[in-house]
Amino acid sequence: MNNTLSPLIHLIDDDEAVRNGLALLISTVGLRVQTWADPQHFIDRFDRQSIGAIVLDVRMPGISGLTLLETLMAQGVDQPVVMLTGHGTVDMCRRAFKAGAAEFLEKPVNDELLIETLQNAVRQHVKSRQRHQADRAARERYAQLSAREREVLGLIIAGLTNKEIGRALDLSPRTVETHRANLFAKLQAESLAQLIRLYAALVDGNAAG
Amino acid sequence: MRRLPLPPMVPGLLAAVVALLGAGALARYELTQQRDAFETDARIVHRLLSQRVVQHDAVLATLALLQPTQNTDTDRPELRLPSVYPQILRAQRRAPHETWPRADWQMAEAEARRLRRATLAGQALTQGRYELITAAGDAAYALHIDLQQTVPWDEWPMHPANSPVRVVLEHAGQTYVVQRGAPPRNGWLFDFKKTLASPSQPFNVVAQRYVGWQELPWVAIGAWGLLVLATLQAWQAWQRQATERRRAEDLLRLGQVARLNTLGELAAGLAHELNQPLTAVLANTQAATRLLQEDDPAELPLARQAMDQAAQQARRAAEVVGRLRRVIEQPNTRGSAVTVGLEPSVRSALHLLEPEFARRHVTVSVQDGKSPQVLADPVALEQIIHNLLMNALHALEQTPESARHVTLQLGTHDNMGWLRVHDNGPGIAPDVLPRLFQPFFSTRAGGLGLGLSLCDTLANGMGGNISARNADTGGAEFTLLLPLAVP
Repeated sequence: MNNTLSPLIHLIDDDEAVRNGLALLISTVGLRVQTWADPQHFIDRFDRQSIGAIVLDVRMPGISGLTLLETLMAQGVDQPVVMLTGHGTVDMCRRAFKAGAAEFLEKPVNDELLIETLQNAVRQHVKSRQRHQADRAARERYAQLSAREREVLGLIIAGLTNKEIGRALDLSPRTVETHRANLFAKLQAESLAQLIRLYAALVDGNAAG
Repeated sequence: MRRLPLPPMVPGLLAAVVALLGAGALARYELTQQRDAFETDARIVHRLLSQRVVQHDAVLATLALLQPTQNTDTDRPELRLPSVYPQILRAQRRAPHETWPRADWQMAEAEARRLRRATLAGQALTQGRYELITAAGDAAYALHIDLQQTVPWDEWPMHPANSPVRVVLEHAGQTYVVQRGAPPRNGWLFDFKKTLASPSQPFNVVAQRYVGWQELPWVAIGAWGLLVLATLQAWQAWQRQATERRRAEDLLRLGQVARLNTLGELAAGLAHELNQPLTAVLANTQAATRLLQEDDPAELPLARQAMDQAAQQARRAAEVVGRLRRVIEQPNTRGSAVTVGLEPSVRSALHLLEPEFARRHVTVSVQDGKSPQVLADPVALEQIIHNLLMNALHALEQTPESARHVTLQLGTHDNMGWLRVHDNGPGIAPDVLPRLFQPFFSTRAGGLGLGLSLCDTLANGMGGNISARNADTGGAEFTLLLPLAVP
């Protein structure tokens, strides 16, 4: 249970009894919980790298839950945020989702609903982090390509054959074949489909930029 | 949608401009009317005078035609002319062998022969006289004409003495005043000039009319000004009223919003206050359930701890509810109880409701055996009596006016003083009776259903009670019991 790699739930509520009760409930399914009484304290100290989710009470003294949510989003925090409220209005709900809340739950909250929501949020976070990492790795590999290799890559993704690429770039099909082999190796792509899936966006983005 | 208010100057300026424009239009209209009348009169004058002087030409032409073939004096028609035409003072004939007594007449005759028509001679236009000469073969005729007589006064379009229009005849630098008119004055001048339609007597008819400032339609202009002023003030008054109304509406809306906000705040606060402990209770019990499901003795202390927490939080929720009740609950009226005479309280309530009884044609009688002294809060007691009396009045609404009656009775029983209010209305329906004192229950359309409920609460608060039944004689009977001051 103390495995630092297991997801971490940040629970922010000014009421100690609520904090303790919810923390105990969440911990029964093996999720780690860190509780915070003071929103400002939380903003200053919490671990932004950790995988997990944030559970926020809407009504708190000092900084309101909605303001805190907006601050977190503005700072680019990527953990999904689950809002809790005892007296939800449509308006509040809309504001929360507009600000980027992942879920909006009413107090008192049923255990199954809360746990399912948190597990979904964690899964979502893990996936988004992985996607993010894959993107970064792809970008790094793409950066290793020479200018000519990038041109060839663009034309491959555009669907041209070696012969057509050679004509377009004024190269012999043989040279094109060499570039092709090199860029497949550098990009660690095993098939044309994989190459297109991982790098099409990068090529388009660079072409547009 | 609210419009921006105009700057305060604007309506006044606008009204001034409208008043001035209206005054200008009225003055202009009046002047146009006057000018039209003047020109019509002047044209009539020109036509009448032209007709008259043309007559002179015709008379002369006739004389020339009728002149005797022999130079005898037997037939002299010209001598009879003055009796037919008053403006012809004298008619003269120059026989072929005679000469005119005056040289200018000779010249005029020569001119007449040359032009083959009558000509003017020896005029004294300023005195209103002139001669008209024509040749007739070797002879000639002269007419002496008086202008004053020439003017056809019976057909004249104006009053010769009072008309402000000046009419003169002009010829060769001489002027004859036909009508004096009014002297010149500041203002406007209309004029008219036209030569008479007779080649022999080409007098210019000149008409002039001065219109002074004082002749403008001042009454109408003043009335117009007042109308504009009245409209302006009415508009401003309407604006003020509209502003007042809007302000009142705003206040009302504000009040409603404030009330709603207060209720909303209360609900939100209450929800939060209760939801916090309920959340903790739910979380703890559910956590405990999950821990116990694992059948692991190591988890037992944690589960027990969770249950303790849940119980503690349930007590916290109960406290919130208790606190709320204490805030909302009515203050205990028993504390302010003093010795009160039941009868004076009844009299006082009756006095207050006297106009209401009179308006509804309800008679009332008080039968007091003895006036009990009870322990009560005087204000609460009067409120109860007031509500019971109002209730009786409402019960009598369907009863014929002549039969409406309320009877009050006072007395003591054991340690209690009692007041009985009886009306001879339709009584209380059996299904209504059990719910009579429930809050928000009313048989009356538009009734809040709080009157009797409040009576009941107040009476209970003072250690008394209130009950209702249908009297044996018909009608409803309410009995209020209160503890006696000296049992």
